[in-house]
Amino acid sequence: MKLFEKIFKFLASLKLAVIIVVSLGVISAWGTIVESRYDMITAQKLVYHSWYMYSVLFLLIVNLIAVMVDRLPWQKKHIGFILAHVGIIILLVGSYVTRVVGIDGTLVFDIGESQRYISLIDQNEVVVYQMKNFEDSEKIYQEKVDFLVNPPKKNPLLIPIEKGQIEIFDYMPYAQKSFQIIESDKMMDGPALRFQLTNQFVNMTEWIVQMGTQPAKLSLGPAQVVLSRDANYQTLGGMNEIVLWPHSKLKKLNYKIYNKDGLVQREGTIGFSEEIDTGWMGLKFRTVQYFPKSKVQYEYKQLERPNANSVSAARFRFNGQEYWLGLNTALELYGDDVVYFITYGNKRIDLGFPVTLDRFEMEKYQGTEMAASYKSIVTVPELGVQEISMNEPLKYKGFTFYQASFQQDKMGQPIGSVLSVNRDPGRFWKYLGSLMIVLGSIVLFYFKRTRKKENVAHDVT
Amino acid sequence: MMSLKISKWIVIFSVMLASLAQASIESTLGVLPVQDSGRIKPFDTFARETLQLIYGKKSYEGVSAVEVVFMWMVLSPQWDEMDFVQIENKLLKEKLNLDIRTKRFSPNILLKKDELQVVLRDLQEKKDNKEKLNPYYQSVERLQNQLTLYKAISQGMVPGLVPPVEGTTWIAPKDLSEEFLNLFVSITKGFAAVVKDSSSLPDFEKAVQVFIERARSENIALVPSQRMIALEYQYNKVHPFQWSWILYLLSGVLFMLFFISQKEKFFLFSWYFMLVAFVLHTYGFILRVVITGRPPVSNMYETVIWVPWGAVLFSIIFMKFLKNKFLVFASSLISFICLVLADLAPVVLDASLQPLQPVLRSNLWLTVHVLTITISYGAFFLAFMLGDISLVFYALSEKKYEKHLVSIRDVMYRAVQVGVVLLGAGTILGGVWADYSWGRFWGWDPKETWALIAFLGYIAILHGRLAGWIKPFGFVFWNVLAFNLVIMAWYGVNYVLGAGLHSYGFGGGGLPFVSAFCGAHFVFATAVWFLRSQRLQKN
Repeated sequence: MKLFEKIFKFLASLKLAVIIVVSLGVISAWGTIVESRYDMITAQKLVYHSWYMYSVLFLLIVNLIAVMVDRLPWQKKHIGFILAHVGIIILLVGSYVTRVVGIDGTLVFDIGESQRYISLIDQNEVVVYQMKNFEDSEKIYQEKVDFLVNPPKKNPLLIPIEKGQIEIFDYMPYAQKSFQIIESDKMMDGPALRFQLTNQFVNMTEWIVQMGTQPAKLSLGPAQVVLSRDANYQTLGGMNEIVLWPHSKLKKLNYKIYNKDGLVQREGTIGFSEEIDTGWMGLKFRTVQYFPKSKVQYEYKQLERPNANSVSAARFRFNGQEYWLGLNTALELYGDDVVYFITYGNKRIDLGFPVTLDRFEMEKYQGTEMAASYKSIVTVPELGVQEISMNEPLKYKGFTFYQASFQQDKMGQPIGSVLSVNRDPGRFWKYLGSLMIVLGSIVLFYFKRTRKKENVAHDVT
Repeated sequence: MMSLKISKWIVIFSVMLASLAQASIESTLGVLPVQDSGRIKPFDTFARETLQLIYGKKSYEGVSAVEVVFMWMVLSPQWDEMDFVQIENKLLKEKLNLDIRTKRFSPNILLKKDELQVVLRDLQEKKDNKEKLNPYYQSVERLQNQLTLYKAISQGMVPGLVPPVEGTTWIAPKDLSEEFLNLFVSITKGFAAVVKDSSSLPDFEKAVQVFIERARSENIALVPSQRMIALEYQYNKVHPFQWSWILYLLSGVLFMLFFISQKEKFFLFSWYFMLVAFVLHTYGFILRVVITGRPPVSNMYETVIWVPWGAVLFSIIFMKFLKNKFLVFASSLISFICLVLADLAPVVLDASLQPLQPVLRSNLWLTVHVLTITISYGAFFLAFMLGDISLVFYALSEKKYEKHLVSIRDVMYRAVQVGVVLLGAGTILGGVWADYSWGRFWGWDPKETWALIAFLGYIAILHGRLAGWIKPFGFVFWNVLAFNLVIMAWYGVNYVLGAGLHSYGFGGGGLPFVSAFCGAHFVFATAVWFLRSQRLQKN
């Protein structure tokens, strides 16, 4: 009994409160340092939502409850104290509710596009589909993963498939993605061309790779380069175009140059490292490298710290071969009579309805290119056309849509919008708790004033 | 006594106003409305900001910014050869093969350097990779801005002089219609005439006046009233914050005289000087608010002005209830330090009036959230300064100054309480704002996290005191140290950590100074603690 009382006294003590408050401060400070050296997600996962942070917060709640029990029976002078302390508990519980059942996602869409999925940037999943005999694919595996907290090097992730398994055994939290284009011998693969465009102002070298059945298009301001499989490409006009497709001779290409009105200006064949005059602003087109069949191979290089373009990547083993899989990418794997499709990416949630981006409007500060404000004009079924702007969110079916940012093309023109979408069942509790903390502190300090003399006397002794 | 003081002030004020009223090239051309960086401003503001960026000062060897920048517009070939582009970074000078000891270089010398292209390309690469810029790259970026702006001015691309009939982009000098070009040429001629002979000023004034009137009539809707333009010119010219810090300094000196002589008269003077300084401080604020149409707390400069204002406000309120004279000294000192810093570190603290980032354009929330948090810093600053004063007393003689120490501690306690309530409320309001505009109540953004850490620090002190861990001296000691948390939340997050959502408030520089300030206090507080424990052991 005495031991129990002692423990209770300790749990209800001010000294424990000071220890907890200082620990929270130290952990948070550490978190901001981690964030500035790495990134927000790393700091959240390794510090702010770590087991030790949660333990301290749990201890805080115990301490708050114990100290209130200790003060029983409550008197009038305890009003501020109770309000502030219960407020903290409610605020923490509300935050926990948000954390566990709330949704905080991102919706990215281009102008004109409909989107019904939002992605959660702090939650990742691995999904595997299986395809047999070119029939419909079937999802055979889907699991939430957190390789940062739970590195596969220690705990490999085993995904069972018909014969054997896919084993994810390594992970890089920050990797620089680069690609290499290599020659292939598969009939299905398309051509790839590396070309150079030069005049006195411009000097650019680019790859264009054709995959699947559609011609590849690369827009370079007022002109466009098109790489097609065959001669059947139909120009739409409206911009200068150079269209290329494989020649019967392996190392040559056919080309046609169209003007804005869709009329053929020049045509002919071009070989390796040859140059043609396009007739647009003195631009010369030169082939640098050409593969009749090609494939893109991605490579990931480990970085010590993240940069603006780095991604995380997981390494897995399948059929004795090893592959890297970057975040939000997919790979096809060929088995004997089966094709697997493995994706590693942000967890996606179906909103249950599509949101269409009709227009994106941006207002600029007078005479500058600085954005003053911007908004998305969207269509939502049942609601019709709605506006979402900074500080003016849209609420629908339990979700709230906020204007977060936008996407631009190379010329700086907005081409898409980024909304932040969330559902927060803990909101009411967080607001209630906050209000109680503020009111409680004011009342608390007001009462302190009446006890001031007492304190001063205590100070002097 | 009082009336004498007041009459003195009236004289000083009228001298100030008289210097304003006297016509000059500066006062005439200074009120020409121009468009630059997203707003309409008097030519005077444009010229000052430009000269500050390129030359590093607000006037050029006694010649006003207005005159210098106007000459750049019309007489650039002569200026191209003059050494006025300021470069401070030594590494940059080395890379450009320039003399390390020279401070300023001519545009022609700089533009002819082959190394310049290399340096600029490196900067572009950093920017493309969205890397943080270190002080070297920040100075490269500054040089780029300096040269670009000078070239743009000398080629007549900025500023916008005439409002367009359609659209919002004002017409630059090089694109002026023939009519306006003629009007502009007559300004130029008038300018040249005044430089030769100041008696032709009325003609010059008339030429400028005609231009302003005619430009306004092009599109009245786009031009703010000439009174607003004149008001901003007045703000630039009077520079109330400068007068304010001079008076705060005087107030502090008078307080010291009072403390040494114990003559009540000196204290009264100190108190009145602080009040007058406060009035000017407030006046400067109101001007800024009227000119920009928003509360002035959107960048570091503005908070460095606002926080001491809060400290003085609290000290005036506390004076009413607690009547502790040290409040006057502490708050005058705080304001003096902050306002001098704001004046003397223009590269770190950008004083220009700038348009807001989109996310900040929700005035009510911005106002409430930022004002509440930053004014709490004022309360903590007051507690810190009083703590400093207490530490001096502790160091001198704890026994002798016992009475002062007890009463100062009482005020500090109150200041900390006010600070805690305001910081807590402000942080929560920040959560409400974030929730309202981003849908996230709390996102562990470094700015909000450091506000929380500062809050926790003071909560720990208050609870530690109740727990009996923190004794009277400890309260003073920890208060002085805890202010480092406020400095971190206020300055450090933007200038040291440099990450997070609050990146619209970011800048660089000043780190050695702030580190020295924090380090010195740490050493001072620890030394007093050590000294005191030695003394206690002896007794």
